[in-house]
Amino acid sequence: MSFFKRKAKGKDLERPAEVKASRGPVSPHSPSVSPRNQHAILEAAGPSHVAINAISANMDSFARGRTAILKKQPSHMEAVHFGDLGRSSVNYQAQDTRSRLSKTVDQVLRDNVAMPYYIQFMETRSADHLVRFWLEAESFRATSWSRVRAHSLNSVKHSSLAEPASGLCSPGSPDSPSDVRRTLGDAEVDIPDPFSSQPPSRPLTPSPQDANSHGGAATVLVHRNSFSLDVGQRPGTPQQLQHSRADTPTRQPSSRTGTPLKVPSTSALRDLSDKLMKSIERDAVNIFTKYISPDAARPIPITEQIRNDIVAKICGEDGQVDPNCFVIAQSVVITIMEQQHLSEFMRSHHFCKYQIEVLTSGSVFLADILFSESALFYFSEYMEKEEAVNVLQFWLAADNFQDQLAAKKGQYDGQEAQNDAMILYDKYFSLQATNSLGFDDSVRMEIESNICREGGPLPDCFTTPLRQAWTTMEKVYLPGFLSSNLYYKYLSDLINSVRADEFVGGNAGAPGNSVPSDNDRSTNVSEGSQAQQGTKRAAIKILKNFDEAITVDIASLDPESLYQRPYAGRMTFGKVNELGQFIREAEPEPDVKKSKGSMFSQAMKKWVQGNSDEAQEEMAWKIAKMIVNDVMHQAQHDSPGVKSTKL
Amino acid sequence: MTTAPYNYSYIFKYIIIGDMGVGKSCLLHQFTEKKFMADCPHTIGVEFGTRIMEVSGQKVKLQIWDTAGQERFRAVTRSYYRGAAGALMVYDITRRSTYNHLSSWLTDARNLTNPNTVIILIGNKADLEAQRDVTYEEAKQFAEENGLLFLEASAKTGENVEDAFLEAAKKIYQNIQDGSLDLNAAESGVQHKPSAPQGGRLGNDTPSQKEGCSC
Repeated sequence: MSFFKRKAKGKDLERPAEVKASRGPVSPHSPSVSPRNQHAILEAAGPSHVAINAISANMDSFARGRTAILKKQPSHMEAVHFGDLGRSSVNYQAQDTRSRLSKTVDQVLRDNVAMPYYIQFMETRSADHLVRFWLEAESFRATSWSRVRAHSLNSVKHSSLAEPASGLCSPGSPDSPSDVRRTLGDAEVDIPDPFSSQPPSRPLTPSPQDANSHGGAATVLVHRNSFSLDVGQRPGTPQQLQHSRADTPTRQPSSRTGTPLKVPSTSALRDLSDKLMKSIERDAVNIFTKYISPDAARPIPITEQIRNDIVAKICGEDGQVDPNCFVIAQSVVITIMEQQHLSEFMRSHHFCKYQIEVLTSGSVFLADILFSESALFYFSEYMEKEEAVNVLQFWLAADNFQDQLAAKKGQYDGQEAQNDAMILYDKYFSLQATNSLGFDDSVRMEIESNICREGGPLPDCFTTPLRQAWTTMEKVYLPGFLSSNLYYKYLSDLINSVRADEFVGGNAGAPGNSVPSDNDRSTNVSEGSQAQQGTKRAAIKILKNFDEAITVDIASLDPESLYQRPYAGRMTFGKVNELGQFIREAEPEPDVKKSKGSMFSQAMKKWVQGNSDEAQEEMAWKIAKMIVNDVMHQAQHDSPGVKSTKL
Repeated sequence: MTTAPYNYSYIFKYIIIGDMGVGKSCLLHQFTEKKFMADCPHTIGVEFGTRIMEVSGQKVKLQIWDTAGQERFRAVTRSYYRGAAGALMVYDITRRSTYNHLSSWLTDARNLTNPNTVIILIGNKADLEAQRDVTYEEAKQFAEENGLLFLEASAKTGENVEDAFLEAAKKIYQNIQDGSLDLNAAESGVQHKPSAPQGGRLGNDTPSQKEGCSC
């Protein structure tokens, strides 16, 4: 046992050097592949490839790291090595405090990868109009601001053009129409139209940053919404702009002929700004009719007061629509989604599918694991097996300390904070620490001075050791975890959740004891302790060429029921599982050794070989099966308007 | 007991919640280390401990997350509730206020955990009979009204500490057996390690006594 302990210490030191060399730098920024690529990969190439690629990438680097370690001498953990690695995660606080696997409503709404799953989920609860309203309102807000800004810039240009130009070739004059064109270009970038076949015919100069950040979201949102909006709506706008823009170049030659600039440009500008305003107004009215007006098909639940407020903002006195007119309604909608739908979404199989997509995307970050409770469950077990659980415990405690102290704001109590910090110090840093992590003296002294700071320690008291612990976990343990059996188990559990829930249809989550906390689920849950078979009795109505509906019990469509012999007990040689593989259940051949030897050799094997191919393959099978199921499931539910959501 | 790597077939995730000072960390420590920490400091955020025990003939590892009871840590500890198979809700029998706050803890637990998470109510410090402030009967009734298991225990003497964790584990295992807890689902709070590669369905793993005629 002591051999392993020594090895654990050595591993922490040596593996960083090895793994760092063999594995490319893990970028702290999330390099998410665009949603279209992701979906294309999943649909066309088959998810097993993605999974296998991700897995083998992890495997290679890890295997190299492992064998290198076994050759080295164990030695004491030194902070200087952590310091080297700290460079790569210098800003870990800023961007890595969220897991892509745990979401708030706000995060879901801004995440292109999660959005389709969320919309699907909301459809099963007939609440998708909330999401669509929010998306359209957000896109409206972003594009309206850009148009307004373009309008304001036009006004500025207008006034500068009003100066008496020296006629021909004044350096200012040829520039200004192109300025106008550029500002239009800004607005244009924000409203790319999927239906417009005209490619932008003007130079795309880079637009201002904030327009882009809204515009980026708006772009995607518009893409997504374009299926649900009237086709005629959006194309009208950019085409008009393009027309009016096409006018301006033709004005330019006339300016060169000597006529004063201001007259033709002024009217062109005014036309332009009118058109901008009208398009804003049209969009606003459109959204209003669809979601807010009492006559709308599916109005969002807002009070009369808010509705009137929106009306007032759309029909402003100066004829201008306030781009922020829907903001209040948007926040109402978000609150509804948070309170009524979010926790169910997190338990639904849609969310599991999203998690699977993230986890098999080939780039999983430590933040994804540490800030997701379900992943943390598996990771904790892994760290315990690796005998490095103290690193994790310290990180958890110090991170929590930091969070709660930062959240205090006005009610900071220095004495209390100091007591808390001293507890951590005694446990992990002091020379008599019970769970010493081997931080070196410089770190210890820094902590001491932070704690003894006049007035009490600040939230950033433990920043340095936190960063070191983070880096250790990221470089040393995460790669191993991602290619471990535990991780496969986690993925396969996610897949199983998806499978189980698919048969339940709209009901998310496993049936269980009824809990009155969620009203509209209590009727579904009251089925209580029935086996999972009970939940499969969702009936499907198939309307074929006949007029009458044929009701099919979905359980009877399960071909594997032919092969199941629940009463056979020990009398089976084996069975074909749902993936089509034959699983042997009888005793294996006598010459095959069943037991893998002593604990020591088991552990050694695990270290040297990493994970087995069979588990990899099985995982790939399961992912493939899940996707096939999903496609079949989608095909069975022939819903007209929703073909846009992809999986 | 040696902590051999693959010695257990299941891992159950527990959380321990309750007011500060009721003895959550001491219960955990008594359970995992079989020692009583007389002057243990309060928990910063969360900590976890593990121990393997035998439940209904199966070796089960319990991964127990001990949360801080102070109100200021409430926001951070809430994020650890999700995905717990079992929850120990602890109060101090010598302090009535800790008993009165139970409904608030129970609400959190019910909202944030799965519908079929097993919750067991623990009345700690049972050794301090002289200073008892909450009777066994009333707590028992509260537990029954809310569908909770209930035990009084003492982290100091060790009385009922093992049983506390064991009773919850038995109930969880029973839920797995009768299908109300899908142990192959993520966020069930249960990790299952089949000993031989099988289909992963529950029926193959447990001994076949429940399957009626097997001849």
